[in-house]
Amino acid sequence: MREKRSFREWLATGKVNRRLVMVTFMFVPLLLLIVFTYLPFGKMIQFSFYDMAYLGDREFVGLDNYIEVFTRDDCFQALKLSVYYMIGAFIQLGLALFFASILSTKMKGAGIFKGLLFFPYLVCGIAVGFIFKFFYTRGFVLDTVLQWIGFNLDNLPYWLRDTSINNISLAATSIWRYMGQNMVLFIGAIMSVDSSMYEAAAIDGASGFQKFRYVTFPSIKTIIVLNLILSITGSLSVFEPPYVTTGGDFGTGTYFVIMNELAHESQKVGLASAMAIVLLVIILIATGLQKLFFWYFFGEGEKEAYRVIRKRKKRAAKEAALAAQKGGTA
Amino acid sequence: MKKKKVFALTLAAVMTLSLAACGNNGGSGKGGNGGGKATDVTIDQITLGEDYTDIEADLHFLTHKTDVVDTKFQDYIKEFQKMYPNINIEYEGITDYANDVTTRLSTGDWGDICMIPTTVSKDDLGDYFLPMGDTDTLSQTYTMLDNFSYDGKSYGLPSMANIQGVVYNKAVFEEAGITELPKTPDEFLTALQQIKDKTDAIPLYTNFAAGWTMSAWDAYIDGCATGDTNFANEGLTKGENPFSDRGDGTGPYAVYDTLYEAVSRGLTEDDPTTTDWEGSKGMMNKGEIAVMVLGSWALPQIQQAGENADDIGYMPFPISVDGIQYATEGPDYFYGINVNSSADEQIAAMCYIKFLVEQSGFAASEGGVDCLVDAQFPEALSAFQSDTVKIIMNDPAPAGEETLQSDINNESELGINVSGELATEVVENATTSAKTMDELADEWNAAWTAAQEKYGVTH
Repeated sequence: MREKRSFREWLATGKVNRRLVMVTFMFVPLLLLIVFTYLPFGKMIQFSFYDMAYLGDREFVGLDNYIEVFTRDDCFQALKLSVYYMIGAFIQLGLALFFASILSTKMKGAGIFKGLLFFPYLVCGIAVGFIFKFFYTRGFVLDTVLQWIGFNLDNLPYWLRDTSINNISLAATSIWRYMGQNMVLFIGAIMSVDSSMYEAAAIDGASGFQKFRYVTFPSIKTIIVLNLILSITGSLSVFEPPYVTTGGDFGTGTYFVIMNELAHESQKVGLASAMAIVLLVIILIATGLQKLFFWYFFGEGEKEAYRVIRKRKKRAAKEAALAAQKGGTA
Repeated sequence: MKKKKVFALTLAAVMTLSLAACGNNGGSGKGGNGGGKATDVTIDQITLGEDYTDIEADLHFLTHKTDVVDTKFQDYIKEFQKMYPNINIEYEGITDYANDVTTRLSTGDWGDICMIPTTVSKDDLGDYFLPMGDTDTLSQTYTMLDNFSYDGKSYGLPSMANIQGVVYNKAVFEEAGITELPKTPDEFLTALQQIKDKTDAIPLYTNFAAGWTMSAWDAYIDGCATGDTNFANEGLTKGENPFSDRGDGTGPYAVYDTLYEAVSRGLTEDDPTTTDWEGSKGMMNKGEIAVMVLGSWALPQIQQAGENADDIGYMPFPISVDGIQYATEGPDYFYGINVNSSADEQIAAMCYIKFLVEQSGFAASEGGVDCLVDAQFPEALSAFQSDTVKIIMNDPAPAGEETLQSDINNESELGINVSGELATEVVENATTSAKTMDELADEWNAAWTAAQEKYGVTH
């Protein structure tokens, strides 16, 4: 039973100040979050049930927009392009891990290399788009460099026009931009691994690769999973490279580019909102599947992979059964 | 318990605050006459330099002409302030004009004067813009008011009129031995071939990568390609399968087919995905490009992009209907006044718009024609003063159907005069040989017909 205090006494306890501080500190970020994230998001959900343009009257159409998203052929066709960017994401992570393992050892000029590799991430996405537009222009940077090493201009493809290669060209720009960022995250994780473990491994006679496989990799598993999830969800919602570099023409229009065209050129705001929400659901599902995959095969954080735990349990059960059998016969 | 109360109270406060913010947005989002009281003065009642010379106002002006905000427009302001010393005008140039302004209009608080974006439907005009007068009265002085007139009132004045034709380099044509300007698609393609064979110039530069340049092609499919001033309404909006091949080198099909053939015969630039609009002006001036298909507004920009201004000419689009080439004359952006501004600001805005339209010389300097009943024809467009060229104006949509074309256009996603989707598809498919021109026309017809049905147009 708590004794009853007057309001004045309660105020004087100091607990109030603490609460007040907490609340006032929370107020501003919460307000910003609500006004700039959740309100617009709620509005978007509302829009997705209307047949509407930016200006003019709106008409409630229920689930029609969602039905159209699933019946149109261009929406999900565009999602197929994400495969290019997903493959790109794997290459990007592989490269990042490679450079991170090299640059986290004591080598000369590591700082400069880290800086050079990280720099593309600091350039804004629109600028990257324009840089690569000129980079890929016929007879410009890329073609010139390839000619130096003996390629003939006539045998080179049109990097952005040729539909068999233009999506690869665009995915490459995305690798160029984000590889450095992934690498820096990996380096950070590798640095935090306890160095006595490497010493122990060295004493046991482990080779460089074995050190990476059995010491580094398990320790930075979490950050790898995080990067992978970010890269794959990112590749579902690619926008800047195709929008700026090719405008989504010649078969490079990703889901976001199509969405943008529908909303701004055909003024189908309701349909575009529905597309956005469908993509959100797809991304949530993809993230969930990835988490499940990693939980099963690699484990989460400190925990071991579920597959390993299950095997061990099975073995234990088998041994127990065997022991019981033995006990029974004996 | 009490801790929870405090927290709940604060949370409630946060919620109500944000809800209130939401409510405000909703209110102004509808536009409406919520702001100041609209004035009753109409633009025809104002005599420049005599009425309202002591009015005080600060005007905010949204414009798409980002290139002359700091130069030409400042000269206009100086000139204008000789008559109206107490009116200050501040220009804001917007690069992605149509998109940005469409969004800003819905807030109601965007400034005082803007160029009305084509995304505003006629029946919504009154929510955003001040009527400048009765259409009947205004049309005694001004031309081409129809685009933004509704219910007998005009909500905008056109800044200038463009003439639809083709920009070409006379020197390159001469070098290629072309003595007579092409009049049909076949003659045009032959001329381009001749240019390719005999000169180093790119015969036709599509400016594909810029995107908006592709929508220029849509401007030729109505009057230019048919000679019918009412084609936009009867032939396109309500017509059956408007994109089909008419077989005689006219109509929308002929316009896009000219582009298709030019691209597939290799008469355009090598790689359309990496074209550069700013650079192309200089290249054309130097004679590295022979032809660009753009409105007359492009003429002064290309003439000023280098030293060879005299080489640049303007000719009618190469489609002839019964031996006559038709060139359509159409309005550029319209000036509109914010319905939410105060009465003084609205009157001041009308004075400035009247000055811009009647006295500034803006149209001539931009390669257009003044939208005045007694306007003079500029010299740069002399090729259009011929017996076989006729300048026509597309008819406005009939009463009650003002929004029908844009509704069908949006519904079909063909983006005519908006996104340049059709010409973009033409270039893509001509380059990759994925679809023939007839297949494209069939697709467009199907999309158009489906959209027509949704808006109750049947054949």
